[in-house]
Amino acid sequence: MNVGVAHSEVNPNTRVMNSRGIWLAYLLLTTALHVVLLSIPFLSVPVVWTLTNIIHNLAMYLFLHTVKGTPFETPDQGKARLLTHWEQMDYGIQFTASRKFLTISPIVLYILASFYTKYDTTHFLVNTGSLLSVLLPKLPQFHGVRLFGINKY
Amino acid sequence: MIRTEELHSCNGTLKSRSGQKQTENYTLKNGYHKNEKVQKNGNGFHQPRVRGEDSFEEAPMYVAVLTYMGYGIVILFGYFRDFLRAVGLEKCHQAQEREEQKDFVPLYQDFENFYKRNLYMRVRDNWNRPICSLPGPVFDLMERVSDDYNWTFRLTGRTIENVINMGSYNYLGFAENNVDFLKTVAEKTRQYGVGVCSTRQELGNFSIHEELEHLVADFLGVESAMAFGMGFATNSMNIPALVGKGCLILSDELNHTSLILGARLSGATIRVFKHNNMQSLEKLLKEAICSGQPRTHRSWKKILIMVEGIYSMEGSLVRLPEIIALKKKYKAYLYLDEAHSIGAVGPTGRGVTEHFGVDPKEIDVLMGTFTKSFGATGGYIAGKKELVDYLRCHSHSAVYATAMSPPVVEQIIRAIKCIMGVDGTTEGQRRVRQLAENTHYFRSRLKEMGFIIYGNKDSPVIPLLLYQPGKVGAFSRAMLKRKIGVVVVGFPATTITEARARFCVSAAHTRDMLNKVLQSLDELGDYIRVKFSRHRRPYRPELYNVTNFGLDS
Repeated sequence: MNVGVAHSEVNPNTRVMNSRGIWLAYLLLTTALHVVLLSIPFLSVPVVWTLTNIIHNLAMYLFLHTVKGTPFETPDQGKARLLTHWEQMDYGIQFTASRKFLTISPIVLYILASFYTKYDTTHFLVNTGSLLSVLLPKLPQFHGVRLFGINKY
Repeated sequence: MIRTEELHSCNGTLKSRSGQKQTENYTLKNGYHKNEKVQKNGNGFHQPRVRGEDSFEEAPMYVAVLTYMGYGIVILFGYFRDFLRAVGLEKCHQAQEREEQKDFVPLYQDFENFYKRNLYMRVRDNWNRPICSLPGPVFDLMERVSDDYNWTFRLTGRTIENVINMGSYNYLGFAENNVDFLKTVAEKTRQYGVGVCSTRQELGNFSIHEELEHLVADFLGVESAMAFGMGFATNSMNIPALVGKGCLILSDELNHTSLILGARLSGATIRVFKHNNMQSLEKLLKEAICSGQPRTHRSWKKILIMVEGIYSMEGSLVRLPEIIALKKKYKAYLYLDEAHSIGAVGPTGRGVTEHFGVDPKEIDVLMGTFTKSFGATGGYIAGKKELVDYLRCHSHSAVYATAMSPPVVEQIIRAIKCIMGVDGTTEGQRRVRQLAENTHYFRSRLKEMGFIIYGNKDSPVIPLLLYQPGKVGAFSRAMLKRKIGVVVVGFPATTITEARARFCVSAAHTRDMLNKVLQSLDELGDYIRVKFSRHRRPYRPELYNVTNFGLDS
């Protein structure tokens, strides 16, 4: 048991996304990823935007919707062990500011990617599929739901 | 559970009740008289103090962004290292499940150990350092080295001597080898033995325990007090005896784990208000009075506000006058945990009630520990006689735990008498003043240097914000090289952006020790760049030597 703690959270994962500056860090990191991909000489601008969108959504899917539990032991007796990070955020309360931000940001990135790919059919399908992979798990109806048993245990 | 009607009548009307009359023998033995007591109390409450503001300056936004990037980098390295262990390129030092059991449900979750094996392990030499002397103002550390990046340590046999101790809660300096104290403690050990082997309710109630409880009640200025052998258990085992199902606990956001555990064990509903935020507390109180219990909307049986005098990781002082006003307005109870503040604040060391000029009788439950300012173990709960008598029958500690060890009791008695001055010396009051002086000096110098520190200006707990995780380990190791022992804390023990070093000032620190620490902090603060304050004030301008300037020939 952590006797000397400077907060009273049972699960520190609930409030990490509410910390000051984490949205700015997230935006800067996504921008840095885009700039790194832009500087690769063989990729064209539409391909770079699609790659940015795909990599961003893949990382978001992994860290928010695949990894379950906490990387440290918590005094809640394993209650959060089967919850993804998205389900642990804000004690499971829906429509908080952090959840809204993390829901809107892939949509904004998708709109930008569609614009810069000039609505090409192939890019559009790839980007839309990637967006749905991170948007569907964020819906309130899918809180705690495991479609086809994916990621259940 | 306390009978609600009786306590409501106590709160509602002022019934004059003759308290337990002190015995003649006890009065003569301690040299105390009622006139003196009344006069002392009167003097104490005439002068309400001006309350210094808490300081919670925020670092610039780029510091928070760099902190998240630092954590991101170490997490990626953690995943990379997990991959190396999985493919066998790096040796796996920790326990693993046997291959024959791979089809069984795993005994533990692998991800739960991620932080410990990948992030904490590399820096764990900064914590749990073994000491080999008394933890006074200076102490000796055993030197230990690691040959495998902190998975295992080995002791070299050498000691690091005279390390300045900025980490112990030795506020009044009673962690010392005082010959007079130890002589009396040795006498009580010969008289009573070293242990009791029974509870306070059974055969474990000695006359020395009664003497301690009377002394604590006199020291605090309340009717009665009860002592317990373990400080943590004073909170966690007594809160379930005070509140139960159908009651509401309003808990500060930064309360200690013992308070949180006691609140959970009680079965009462717990609601959390923002740290030291009176608007948040009043909002919760209004909502509790208007809406009542969930679903049935009946009135709450009891509403208990739980706060601490000094918050041990934040250094902030409770807003006691405002909380007492709210408690009276909404007819709630107040539980004040003075674990750190008793002995450490107030003109004569009687805690935050004396610091704010508040009558201790206005606080329903006064809790404190003997583990900090008194150099002992255990804790106490003080208040009205009916409260303490109720706890003697219903407290889990009184019914099941062993009573406090008699030499420990004598150590506490000696310390309290020293602070009260009834041992014929002014040594206790000198220590209280010295602690306040050291606290003000250390805090003001740190602010001048440009560090961000938290907490009240009268608080001897001084968190120095480091923010970035990489600087926590660098800071602690560099300070130990300079023979200064500090305590560093990071996520998940703090919020993710507020890693810090926590300094505890002691009355036993000399000015030379503090100056050495401050000089090291000044150099190190520039070296690892942790001076983030934007309120830098050059109080001490540089002295320019006029003859250094060139003269026109």
